[in-house]
Amino acid sequence: MKKNLSVASMISLIIAAVLIVISIFIPWWGMKFFAPQYPEGLDIIVYPTTLDGDIEVVNGLNHYIGMKEFSNQSFPELAYMPYIVISFAVLTLLVAFLRKKSFLFGLIILYVIGGIVGLLDMYRWLKKFGTELDPKAPIDLDPFVPPIIGENTIANFVTNSYFTYGGYLLGIVFILMIFPLWKDRKK
Amino acid sequence: MKRKGIISAVSGLAAGVLVAAVFFADFNKEEKASSAADNKSKAEKVYVPYGEYDDYYMLASGGHSGQLFVYGVPSMRKIRTVPVFTPDPATGYGYDENTKKMLGGYTWGDFHHPAVSETKGDYDGEFLFANDVGNNRVAAVDLSTFHTADIMSLPNMGGPHAGVFVTENTEYIALPTRFARPLGGKYAELDKYKEEYKGVVSMAKFDRDKKKFNLAYQIMLPPWSYDLSDAGKKMSGDWIVMTTYNTEFATTNLEINASQNDRDYIVLINWKKLEGEVAKGNYKEIEGVKMVDPRDYKGAIYAIPVSKSPHGVDVTPDGKRFIAAGKLAPLMTVFSFEKAFEAIEKEDYSDEKFGIPVLPYKKVMEREVDPPGALGPLHTQFDDKGNAYNTMFISSEVVKWKVDTGEVIDRKPSYFSPGHSSAAEGDTVDPDGKWLVALNKIAKDNFLSVGPSHPESMDLFDISGEEMEHIMAAPVDPEPHYAQIVHKDKIKPKKLYEKDEKRKNAVWSKEDAHIERKGNEVHVYGVALRSKFVFDAKSDRPDAVTVNQGDRVFFHMTNIDLDQDITHGFGINDYNLNFEVQPGQTNTLEFVADQAGTFPIYCTNFCSALHQEMSGYLLVKPKE
Ligand SMILES: [Cu+2]
Repeated sequence: MKKNLSVASMISLIIAAVLIVISIFIPWWGMKFFAPQYPEGLDIIVYPTTLDGDIEVVNGLNHYIGMKEFSNQSFPELAYMPYIVISFAVLTLLVAFLRKKSFLFGLIILYVIGGIVGLLDMYRWLKKFGTELDPKAPIDLDPFVPPIIGENTIANFVTNSYFTYGGYLLGIVFILMIFPLWKDRKK
Repeated sequence: MKRKGIISAVSGLAAGVLVAAVFFADFNKEEKASSAADNKSKAEKVYVPYGEYDDYYMLASGGHSGQLFVYGVPSMRKIRTVPVFTPDPATGYGYDENTKKMLGGYTWGDFHHPAVSETKGDYDGEFLFANDVGNNRVAAVDLSTFHTADIMSLPNMGGPHAGVFVTENTEYIALPTRFARPLGGKYAELDKYKEEYKGVVSMAKFDRDKKKFNLAYQIMLPPWSYDLSDAGKKMSGDWIVMTTYNTEFATTNLEINASQNDRDYIVLINWKKLEGEVAKGNYKEIEGVKMVDPRDYKGAIYAIPVSKSPHGVDVTPDGKRFIAAGKLAPLMTVFSFEKAFEAIEKEDYSDEKFGIPVLPYKKVMEREVDPPGALGPLHTQFDDKGNAYNTMFISSEVVKWKVDTGEVIDRKPSYFSPGHSSAAEGDTVDPDGKWLVALNKIAKDNFLSVGPSHPESMDLFDISGEEMEHIMAAPVDPEPHYAQIVHKDKIKPKKLYEKDEKRKNAVWSKEDAHIERKGNEVHVYGVALRSKFVFDAKSDRPDAVTVNQGDRVFFHMTNIDLDQDITHGFGINDYNLNFEVQPGQTNTLEFVADQAGTFPIYCTNFCSALHQEMSGYLLVKPKE
């Protein structure tokens, strides 16, 4: 089998695989809520495997508008995420050692599809939580969908959603994946 | 004749005008302007802008209110009242099962001298100890929650006024008695005072992990009255010093009869030695307490004559000297531990009183400090530059003087009869020398009148300069005794109680709330959260509890709002009951449902916009 990716490209992919593994332990996405009573802000921090931050406090407040409770159980994806992430790392390593451009194309396409599916899934959850509000809630609120990135105002809370370190790492991983395409481009 | 009369009338008139001009004319406009500027700079010194904190906590005794008052210094803003010996409906203290048990049926205490726990002679900010002169108890306040953690009764005591003070590493919390009393509180005629009555020092230990007192041993002493005391530091760390009055053994009209002897005593006790004797089994058991008589063990106790009826005795930050404040003799006496140890070494005794070797005054004393006209010295505090500060009750002033030389540096009026004073970290090995608060017993008309009993007051002095500067006065509830001013960095309050799944009686989710019935006991394992109570998750009305008349009811409530400052209250209409659960806390209310009827339950501590809706019912079915 003809190897048509350079050593530099191989190293780039190995680094990408390592970063993918590291990202399991780092938060990918977060949301911060501010209100006059919470000038220090409340956090929801999403790791690929678990939720962190002021989840209980946010749940306590969300019951006023009839939003469902957040918990690890309410997001079954979180249980599969480590396997998915590890599989991507293994695939990336395989491509690095096989050093075949066609495999690399396949990997990139898979990675992009994974990313899009992930974003759609997140959007689905945000929409579900924001629009399926309990009609018997003490405070009546129009359904809303918080953005994946950016600011939003719900009642007295200003929310900021953002990608964080894990998300950035995945961006770097993408660059490391397409780097070989440039490095080993046909002259 | 006429002429003369006119002249004298004219000259008299002229003199009158002159006098009027001198006394009433406004010659000192300039001075007023400068004092306005002074006031501005004083205001700036105590103004703490919104969002910033005071530098110090002042933990002040609330006297016979039985409470601890928490102030911020320098703003002098009152931050919180912490109930210690007194029930407090606002926080449910004395109503829930634990605190009710802790108070043991008493509804007040006379809290005199707070002491913050120390490590190496410096405040460590973990606990505060308080004495109850009224009902012979000692309390510990946990400074991570500002809740009273434990109260222990002290048998054989007659009011532990001379406490609380702690030894260098809080090995002991010592509480010497004020009134002599027969041991075990037994009856004995006052004619047998000398033989039957005893002074007692309680040596309490405190387990910081279990937050529990343990009375290690008591020291039996002659029936003198022990007024105030302090623990040695560094070189004098094994010793405690106490002032006495009534060495006359008077049993009536003490005002006269206990003020006859020209000299009373400072008593020195070596606690380390007594600890060793107790460990060897050298004690008698009295009322379940190990009682040791220091007169039986050489080197355990000494007395030093001091001018009559002294009040405070305070050890200098370096631990080398102790200073007695005269009260009736208007002077401070500086004694040297080094010299006392020397006399002890040489067995150089001048006398023996009641079996206690007396050290010669002249050989132990370094100097007497007697500022002219200063009357009624009570207590000594220290700064970081080797100066002592004394409050003068009768001449209403604070005197600053140099410990090394006795030189009086400054005297400033306090605004009416100061008792104790407290300087920032002023009784530790490392005083800060920043602020001093004189705790006044009488304030006259310093504030808007609230009727015949005027509020007591506290004067704040800036002691950072060579001269003291009076900055402001603040009113205070009755009655300030002593206070400790602790730097804010040393106290680390909790924001929440940690969620502890294993905690006894705790329920952590709405779904798990349930009721258990055992005979005539009803145990409600409930939760409080914004903005509801859940007592029984499976019931159609999870916020109602039905019991039978005569049932013993236990509400075990857990506040599952793990959010800052979301405290829930729990009041039961007509049942005279209210208690609280702070965020993450589990607390139990126990009572007998002796009244049949329908009793609303509601959250008494404002918790959210729907606080008003946070309610339920207790239904008590009448007996057939
Ligand atoms: Cu409430």
